[in-house]
Amino acid sequence: MRRRDVVRAFATGLAVPTIDALTPDRMWAAARAIHDRIRARQDEALLVLTEHQNAMVRALAELIIPETDTPGATAARVNRFVDVMLAEWLDANEREAFLRGLVALDARSVNTFGTPFLGLDEGQQAVLLHGLDAELAALRQADLSTEEHFFQHMKWLTLYGYYTSEVGATQELQQVIAPGRYDPCGPVRREASGQWD
Amino acid sequence: MGLNQTAYDAIVVGSGVTGGWAAKELTEAGLETLVLEAGRAIDPATDYVEHEPSWSFRYRGLGDRQSLARRQAVQRTCYACDEAASKFFVDDLDNPYSVPDGKPFLWIRGRQVGGRSIMWARQSYRLSDLDFEANARDGHGTDWPIRYDDIAPWYDHVERFAGISGERLGLAQLPDSQFLPPMPLNCAEQFVKEGIERAFGGERVMTIGRAAVLTQDHSGRAACHYCGPCHRGCITRSYFSSLTATLPAAEATGRLTLRPASVVAEILYDAGTDRARGVRVIDAVTHEEMEFRGRVVFVCASALESTRLLLNSTSTRFPAGLGNSSGELGRNLMDHTMRAGASGIVPGLADRDAYGRRPNGVYIPRFRNVTAQHPDFLRGYGFQGGAGRSGWSRGASMPGFGADFKHALREPGPWAMRLGGFGECLPRPSNYVEIDQDTKDTWGVPTLCIHCEWSDNERAMLQDMAVTAAEMLEAAGVRDVEPYIQDSPPGLTIHEMGTARMGRDPRTSVLNGYNQCHDVPNVFVTDGAAMVSSACQNPSLTYMALTARACAHAIDLLNRREL
Repeated sequence: MRRRDVVRAFATGLAVPTIDALTPDRMWAAARAIHDRIRARQDEALLVLTEHQNAMVRALAELIIPETDTPGATAARVNRFVDVMLAEWLDANEREAFLRGLVALDARSVNTFGTPFLGLDEGQQAVLLHGLDAELAALRQADLSTEEHFFQHMKWLTLYGYYTSEVGATQELQQVIAPGRYDPCGPVRREASGQWD
Repeated sequence: MGLNQTAYDAIVVGSGVTGGWAAKELTEAGLETLVLEAGRAIDPATDYVEHEPSWSFRYRGLGDRQSLARRQAVQRTCYACDEAASKFFVDDLDNPYSVPDGKPFLWIRGRQVGGRSIMWARQSYRLSDLDFEANARDGHGTDWPIRYDDIAPWYDHVERFAGISGERLGLAQLPDSQFLPPMPLNCAEQFVKEGIERAFGGERVMTIGRAAVLTQDHSGRAACHYCGPCHRGCITRSYFSSLTATLPAAEATGRLTLRPASVVAEILYDAGTDRARGVRVIDAVTHEEMEFRGRVVFVCASALESTRLLLNSTSTRFPAGLGNSSGELGRNLMDHTMRAGASGIVPGLADRDAYGRRPNGVYIPRFRNVTAQHPDFLRGYGFQGGAGRSGWSRGASMPGFGADFKHALREPGPWAMRLGGFGECLPRPSNYVEIDQDTKDTWGVPTLCIHCEWSDNERAMLQDMAVTAAEMLEAAGVRDVEPYIQDSPPGLTIHEMGTARMGRDPRTSVLNGYNQCHDVPNVFVTDGAAMVSSACQNPSLTYMALTARACAHAIDLLNRREL
């Protein structure tokens, strides 16, 4: 490489936008372009979940984080996040365990109400979820691991998928990307500046 | 092999925290300087993604777990190797190293222009004579060839440029820096600080961390805007890195040539002149070999990479590695211990919260073995930590679901306060690295086998960290205090240092008091490899000061035609 080329390569490395131009609004605008690209990808086909499983995940997630004065898990497309995580992030055995959990929930639903989960009304679905949640509480009470429990995974994936989504971060958390200052002891405010997770 | 006909005044191997300083000091003194960086160029405009929101990442910041397990099994153990920043850490398959069975060592590396100064945690503390005299006092390791007075002006020098925010305390064991205004403690930290001071008088004090993060505009760089994830880069150049501070200063002189993708495989020794004549480089992309010549060589590749390079530079005169007539090259590897301390819940302050993501925590300077000798261990440790209120993530271990559950998570959790010790590691020859000729990296360069383990002294200190952290939190009125000691293997603190130690005697050390190779006087090693003891402070600031000092010495010798 000739010196000229080296210097050019380096000059590229110094292509830093001027600081004055980087108001939080500008940063936010730059980030929006990326969001648009990500959103465009979201209508891809499901990777792992069947339509039935996808509908169950969507219903479970919305029961955990429902629409209230802000949108819920369905609007945040938590089911699509779960699909990606199952397909690409979890190991095969973890994925199988999760999918078996959905089958088991349907079986429990049939045993209790005579109908698969998606055939229940919301109140009946909530009864089953209370049962699962009570099992988690019992494990914690006994100081046992909840790692193997389907509902622990479902709950974590729902929370993570929701609060890191655009809907969750901007409408529910009202997250600010660049606070611009540090106030060490202010009032508790809805506008969240805690860590990114 | 191609020989580049340009003869440089100086060659700098590495472009991280020390390479950047060498580049700045040498070019500003008028030397035509070639900086060789093994990794790629970084363009902050596209590579820095600290403001991209969570949902722009496919795994929302959790990282591509399967790819990390495959290609970065070691690097992913570092907290900063996340979805946005894993590109700043090496590929472990391209960059292998080995350890003996049962002696894990996690070697966390960054190969790019800027090195690890892009992802570093920015904590910056001076060493004191308590540290520089430690080896002489208790007989471990060899005596430092310098004392605090030798390095103090160089701390001043690098701090004024880098920008270190912090609070003046006037402590002998932790000298004050040239500070920018300190970041504030949050209200829970202030509560704990006051409690510690009530219980322990002036012996134990808590202060805000001393960080290479700007609290006001400084040298053309903007004050921090408290966005949070510094390890992903900083487009406003608010924290110190070579990429956005020292290298641009060097470039501005017109005397810098920076060549990325340049794997330095060997320092070439010339028997006729008894000097290094230059370096052999393998282009990281084309694998083409070439040679560059320089009057002086600064080795700034990071502690273990620098030592690996010297060990791989063999000749008839130096069959065991360049500058290794002492046999000390590779010995006395150190890192700091961590992950022992305590945590608890700060009562009250329910209507208060911090706003902004402060890229800094608290610090409790060393208080052990400062005046009285502790019965169980030598040397000491400092605490880092902080207080904060948890957010939605606590929902995963909270009972409930539905609207009430969602709305309950809008309220922040209680104030949690945590302290974690960083402990000094004794220099011991049994912690060492050697070349594994049978294992080569992707560029054919023989790799390191790293032998390192903690000793009883470090383990005893971890026990004490848990006890003293808990007693300080208890004394301050913190509730539900839980001491902890977790197993953290050496390497993971990423303060690896030693293996080419400084010293007065060429028979027992590799470098002299100016980081200059005893055997080959035109070779300087100014990164962590030069450290004679580890102290307990985060070491990068000391590497910066040693580098600037060594540069001044080299320039002086060149001007006097003594190199």
